[in-house]
Amino acid sequence: MKLLILFLVLGLIAFYVGYLHADQPASHVEINTDSIGPRAIEELTEKSIVRDYGLAWQTLRNALENNQGSALDGYSTGFAKDEFSRLLQSQLKTGVHVRYIDQSHQLTAIFYSPSGDAMQLRDRATLELQIVDGSKVLSAQQVTRNYLVLMTPGADRWLIRDLESLPEGRP
Amino acid sequence: MSIRALLTIFVVAMISRPLLAADLQVPANVVAGDDFTITSSNREGGTFYLIGPSQVGKRNAVSGSEINIPGDEIKNSGLYTALLCSGGDCASATFYVKPAAPAKLSLLVHPSRVRVAEPNAITAVALVFDRFHNLVTEPAQVEFQAIPGEGQAISQSRAASNGIAWIRLTSGKKEGPVKVGASVGPAKELRVVRQVASDACNLRIKPEWSSGKFYVSTDPVRDCSGNPVPDGTVISFTKTDRTGKTTVDAPVKRGIARVQMPIDGSARILVASGVVTGNELNVTGKQ
Repeated sequence: MKLLILFLVLGLIAFYVGYLHADQPASHVEINTDSIGPRAIEELTEKSIVRDYGLAWQTLRNALENNQGSALDGYSTGFAKDEFSRLLQSQLKTGVHVRYIDQSHQLTAIFYSPSGDAMQLRDRATLELQIVDGSKVLSAQQVTRNYLVLMTPGADRWLIRDLESLPEGRP
Repeated sequence: MSIRALLTIFVVAMISRPLLAADLQVPANVVAGDDFTITSSNREGGTFYLIGPSQVGKRNAVSGSEINIPGDEIKNSGLYTALLCSGGDCASATFYVKPAAPAKLSLLVHPSRVRVAEPNAITAVALVFDRFHNLVTEPAQVEFQAIPGEGQAISQSRAASNGIAWIRLTSGKKEGPVKVGASVGPAKELRVVRQVASDACNLRIKPEWSSGKFYVSTDPVRDCSGNPVPDGTVISFTKTDRTGKTTVDAPVKRGIARVQMPIDGSARILVASGVVTGNELNVTGKQ
């Protein structure tokens, strides 16, 4: 019986470690555009936002995991890219890692500029946030976080220009 | 105890481990760039970690019950996690750092060139930031201004929602640059929009004979607000006589358009620019 429990625990740990290090696909992203304004969202733009926001999180996750600043170029720009780059630099300096394992994002589009050059969204993200020092997991929490996101169009995709986490309960 | 119960205890223990020793106290109101202190019930200290949106900090051998955080370490607003780890256990606290007061603006103005007297043709979007480039999500009043080359400035106030305020403006009646600005607190930004003449209006043509040749020329071509249309604007002259119907396009040069037209007998000449038509001439050719 004890041996069985030991095997189960080891199996669980192996699964847990494997899960952490797997190259995660883009997470599930949904969007609600009912309250967007003043410009109505175009069908193609809506699809692009969903696709590019998911890919932006995927590249952020990979960049943080592998300390690869170049991975940020694809889907972030401006202040967001500066912030993520600073985070990477401090990770390298301290040996402490932040690991985001995002599972889902519920986007609500709230502002689309009349000229179509900026969109603001709220994201209610379900993710696992891990803080790792070297190889030791200091903290692993399943959290729901609210983000205020500013996206702007690039040549062939939408880019995250600003990403701010908000306290729970903010409308 | 069943295997299922053991597994449940294991998973819960793994996930909630940091929460069990949550003895870090963070002030309720922390503002970006301001120093503050975290209080710990653990007087033995340990390794302190501060994880924010754009940094991870680590301090070894923190001792005492008060951990001072300099403003430099919390320049970015957002959610932070503080961890104090000692002997394999970590105490944690998650807290929000608010943006500082509005100090910077990003102003997006479109288009850069607009026709005069176009309703709601100019849009200005202002994004309100603090001195660290955090979007200021607290309500703020943004003052928008339109300053024409001549005439009085117009200003209107808009409340920023989630750090964004915007306005639509009608272009002025006189061509020339108009400065569109926005201000909040000490921050002010200006952009220039060029207003250009609109479509031609009240087109008028007149006949001219010169050295035995017949010419048709326009009066100075202006839009409905009296602004001269730009050189190069195409004016179409259509002549109908017994040989048939002929249309000649001529660009405006130095404010007028002029064409030579051979006349056979009597002819009717019409003028148009885009969808705008002008007066009609009835002329008879010289024998």
